[in-house]
Amino acid sequence: MVKISVLQHAPSVHLPARPGDPTPTTRNLDPLMHPFARARERNRALNAAKMDKLFAKPFVGALEGHIDAVEVLCKKPGSLSAVASGSWDGGVILHNVSERKHIRRIQGAHKGKVSGLCFAQDDRLLSCGVDSKIKLWDASPQDDITEQRPLNEYPGKSAFNSIDHHRSDPLFATASNIVQIWDETKSAAISNLTFPTSTETITSVRFNLSETSVLGSIGSDRTFTLYDIRTGKAERRIVMQMSSNALAWSPTFPTNVLLASEDHNLYTFDVRQLKTPTHIYKGHVAAVMSCDWSPTGLEFVSGGWDRTVRIWKEGQGTRPEVYHTKRMQRVSSSIFTADARFVLTGSDDGNVRIWKAKASEKLGIITARERAAIEYRDTLKDKWKQDNEVGRIQRNRHLPKPVYQAAKLKRTMLDTRAVKEERRRKHTRAGESKPNAERKKVVITEQT
Amino acid sequence: MEQDLRVRLIGENEDDERMDSGDDEEIESDDAFDESDEEKYGLYFPSNDHDDEEGAVSTSEDEASPEALEELQDFVSKLDHADDKKRKSNDVSTQSASKKRRLMQERTEAGDEGEFGVSVRGSTALKLDDLLAPLASSSALTTLKKSIKVLTSTSTKTKTLLAPLPQRAQERLDREAAYEQTKEEVDKWSATMKRIKQAEHLSFPLQAQPEGRVSNLELAAKFKPSNELESAVDNLLKSAQLRDQDIAGTEALKMAHLSVEEVAARRAELRMMRELAFRADKKAKRIAKIKSKAYRRIRKKQRERLGGEEGDADVDVEDAEAQLKAEVERARERATLRHKTTGKWAKAMQGREELDVDQRQAIGEMLERGEKLRRRIQGEMSGDESEENESDDEEQDVETIKQSAFEELAMLNASDVLSADIKSKSVFNMKFMRDAAERQTREADAAADDFLKEMGGVEQESDDDACGDRTVTEGPSVQRVGGRVVYHPGTIPYTKPVDSHASETSSVTLQSADLVQDSPKSLNSISSPIISSPTQESNPWLVTSSSSGPSRKRSEVLVQKGSDALAKSTNKLKKRIAKGGEEKERIQDDAVLEIDADNVLTALEPASTPAVINTKHKLKGKGKGKEKPKNDSVVVRISPADADDSDGHSEVDEQERTLERKRKGGKGKGVTAFKQRELVSLAFAGDNVVQAFEDLKQSEIEADAPREVDTTLPGWGSWGGTGTKKFPPRPNLIKKIAGVEPSSRADYKKAHVIISEKRDKKAAKYLVKELPYPYTSHAQYARSMDIPVGAEWNTRVGFQRGTLPRVVKKMGTVIEPLVKAS
Repeated sequence: MVKISVLQHAPSVHLPARPGDPTPTTRNLDPLMHPFARARERNRALNAAKMDKLFAKPFVGALEGHIDAVEVLCKKPGSLSAVASGSWDGGVILHNVSERKHIRRIQGAHKGKVSGLCFAQDDRLLSCGVDSKIKLWDASPQDDITEQRPLNEYPGKSAFNSIDHHRSDPLFATASNIVQIWDETKSAAISNLTFPTSTETITSVRFNLSETSVLGSIGSDRTFTLYDIRTGKAERRIVMQMSSNALAWSPTFPTNVLLASEDHNLYTFDVRQLKTPTHIYKGHVAAVMSCDWSPTGLEFVSGGWDRTVRIWKEGQGTRPEVYHTKRMQRVSSSIFTADARFVLTGSDDGNVRIWKAKASEKLGIITARERAAIEYRDTLKDKWKQDNEVGRIQRNRHLPKPVYQAAKLKRTMLDTRAVKEERRRKHTRAGESKPNAERKKVVITEQT
Repeated sequence: MEQDLRVRLIGENEDDERMDSGDDEEIESDDAFDESDEEKYGLYFPSNDHDDEEGAVSTSEDEASPEALEELQDFVSKLDHADDKKRKSNDVSTQSASKKRRLMQERTEAGDEGEFGVSVRGSTALKLDDLLAPLASSSALTTLKKSIKVLTSTSTKTKTLLAPLPQRAQERLDREAAYEQTKEEVDKWSATMKRIKQAEHLSFPLQAQPEGRVSNLELAAKFKPSNELESAVDNLLKSAQLRDQDIAGTEALKMAHLSVEEVAARRAELRMMRELAFRADKKAKRIAKIKSKAYRRIRKKQRERLGGEEGDADVDVEDAEAQLKAEVERARERATLRHKTTGKWAKAMQGREELDVDQRQAIGEMLERGEKLRRRIQGEMSGDESEENESDDEEQDVETIKQSAFEELAMLNASDVLSADIKSKSVFNMKFMRDAAERQTREADAAADDFLKEMGGVEQESDDDACGDRTVTEGPSVQRVGGRVVYHPGTIPYTKPVDSHASETSSVTLQSADLVQDSPKSLNSISSPIISSPTQESNPWLVTSSSSGPSRKRSEVLVQKGSDALAKSTNKLKKRIAKGGEEKERIQDDAVLEIDADNVLTALEPASTPAVINTKHKLKGKGKGKEKPKNDSVVVRISPADADDSDGHSEVDEQERTLERKRKGGKGKGVTAFKQRELVSLAFAGDNVVQAFEDLKQSEIEADAPREVDTTLPGWGSWGGTGTKKFPPRPNLIKKIAGVEPSSRADYKKAHVIISEKRDKKAAKYLVKELPYPYTSHAQYARSMDIPVGAEWNTRVGFQRGTLPRVVKKMGTVIEPLVKAS
């Protein structure tokens, strides 16, 4: 009989006795046994930063099905997986993101492009299009996923650009050349909210998520307008240097609204103080086409005409995470999922892409020890971000060449402009003109 | 929608409307935006530039008022008008009446005056109140009155109503007011937002309901058997009375007849038992863990011995066997001549508690033998004596032997003294013979002393003072064995305690002392401190003054040489001073030192100390009681002049004198101070630090200075041979090393410091160029970076706290936007 010597590990030595207990450690607690703390931690921080880049694989997958550019995306409130997308071909698809399957596919929901989508109460979907129609669809999963008949149809007078549902009431707002409030049960709009001098198209309208009666809209006349359905009035309007393409209300900071502007920047405004934006987010090298807050309200995603998706931290105006792929075209819509872990973007190439919100995050189950290690690495990265090497690695972003060149060019242009401005100021009488803060240049007027 | 609302509003609750417009600024933000109140804002009217009353009226005028009100107002206005007219006509009529003939007055009224007919001619003018009097009972009257207060008031300027604002202006005002309202509403979030912004840790979703865990007890309490199995088990339990409540009942029943004390005692006993069991268990576990083979062996032996002892007590048969074995052991022991307590047999003997006389004797014998052996190895005892002793030893008691030995020694000493006294002119009195004899006696003395010490003779030593004094005060002892001179430091062999012999090589150990010689040991322990004390309490000034501190260079002087050393060092100093004339001032500057006066005072006079160290003991013995409590220090300034000419040091002399004066107060004859000059010269012998420092600084500056290095390789790029011109080095091959200009150094013009300009490249990567954002001071940042966060340097909890991320999201949880708490 051959004697087999087995490497035995008694579980009691290295496993916690009961669930919830700490894992028994076998390390030597003597501080003398662990010298060079600083050097070692710096090295670990460096490794962590490198690993972060090494494992940065943000692309998760694509949801296919549209035959034309994806114009609009919307997630179902209170659901992690249900997402609807509307396309330029007039088709609406209801995706199950976790299974990457179609729940519903509505082929010709509208004539022309589907310009707005939102979920109504009780598993129903509202869509509006440039065919001046609003349609209410059943969004519950069914056997025949291609059923075509809407539950209800609301006729409008002009082409709709956007639609948004009230968070709790059966009301929804649409944007055409005016902002209208509709009741789900009534076939005509129950009120029109318009700033009196507004004549241009309203591009987008959004309800505030926490202060539910407040809504904001942006128009092609470079304006942002604030409404309240309680007072039934357009309350205030600001005119900016350039028009905005999208707006989003912060879910955790109810006074904050994010605007994706045509001038490559994003702005956050506090509605109590609309004179100046609270922050400017600079990074895109073309117009920003869409934006959406993370449910935490501490991050947001933006998709741009420059074919990149960028993920920003609230309050940090530069150096966002940049996601791009070779085949992704201009990003016309982007949303965060409800658990703040993923980002969905719809682009001109007709795909809806799923990205991780944190590029190097590991998907799947993470053990407690692994989590501790991850948290330790994150802490170290944050602690040592001032270090030359660690900081350089962390700041580094890989960009597609055209974007990189465009950014360079843009930087040159802006620098030149700044220099010119400075010279001009130097040659005026002393004290005549003061340097104008960047934030104060954004809003031209605030109209009451 | 708005239109609808308005119409309904004004038609329905007229009263409310009135009330509101009466004081329309009192809209509370709290209840302003209730669904039911929405209509209010339909009518919202900002009256910044109107009075309240005016606003109210204009509102009511603007809107389509109910018929009744309009009529009433018409009526009122007409009335007023009519009143005026009438007054005028009255005047006219009276005037005309006075001028013209009296005419029959025209009758305008249809009928008589009464409740329904008012006489104009009456003395009292008609008031609105009169008209309204009949309506007094109706409830609408008060509100009506209120509303027409404006009209009835006497002031003239409010009589007319203002024209409504243009629609655009009006709407703008409305919007502004609405914006203010919204702002106010939204502003209620500010506290929440601030809290979120400032939170150190955020766990999303923020408004998640805390999920309570269900405890086992709770589940058990709620449990009801649902299926067949469960109900069957339940029934069984019930029949056996084993359910919780039943068990409690039975326990109570059992404990019923016991008193409280009994229960307590029982419980205590139980607890005790449990505790004991637990401890025994712990101990067994701990012992079972020990892996040491040696320990196991010892344990085994111990166990065996225990067993043997038990056997001793019980059976004699086994005892014989064991005895035999022990005898064999003993024989082996003796054969190896390892007469120590480290032997197997000896150890076994030690382990035993009770020893019978035989065994004790055997051990004593062994030790004795060991002792003898040792002495023989040292060659200190003559062979025949030892043999005799050996033969004696076996019979006699140890004590008696020792006694006899001491007596013999004393006799020998006495005879020595006698022989020294005798003065004769024999050969033995010649010098070389005397020397030889002396040497012999000294050797014999040493041997005797050794013996004394070994046998506890210190007792003797302490008895006769003269002997003790001599041995102690003897200087560095010089021994001469054969042709070689052996130097011993003075008192060491005597100060060495007996215990020090208890090394492994010697046979006399602590054990043996314990076993055999109890009384000498105790005596030893008493006497030893007296001997060793002088070395312990040596005067620091006297001992180390010649070596004068570790920082001074080249000032190591032998202490043993005594005053000669002092003289030497003074000489040295003199030489140095003679050599470097300009150094004098510098030394004078530097050498300001403080000397503890106490230590100086206890020192000896140099005249009486040919060997300073040797008299230490005496000094200490005498100066013990007279120590000065005052600890005064003296500042000494050393100058080169002091060292070489004795006339010019009045200052030092004066200090000396003062010291002496102080000393005379409580000092005996033998103890005097060192001369300050000597002390100081000792302390600063060969001291040249300033020069060394300056040299060092200069070399440092030169090393750092910018320089040019010619990197031309000889023979390359040039022709060799005769007649070739020597070209200057090519400028591109001259390497310029930037370095640091001497004038730009940090220590430039700072004579007392050298600040290094070297940059540590390896340390540089831990430096930051500027202070990172949230920190306000360098120290703050440095502190934060000092503390490592890793698990190696923190406790488990500390590590977890330190690495807890700011934002925690639970996987797969929907994070809803904030909801207003209702």
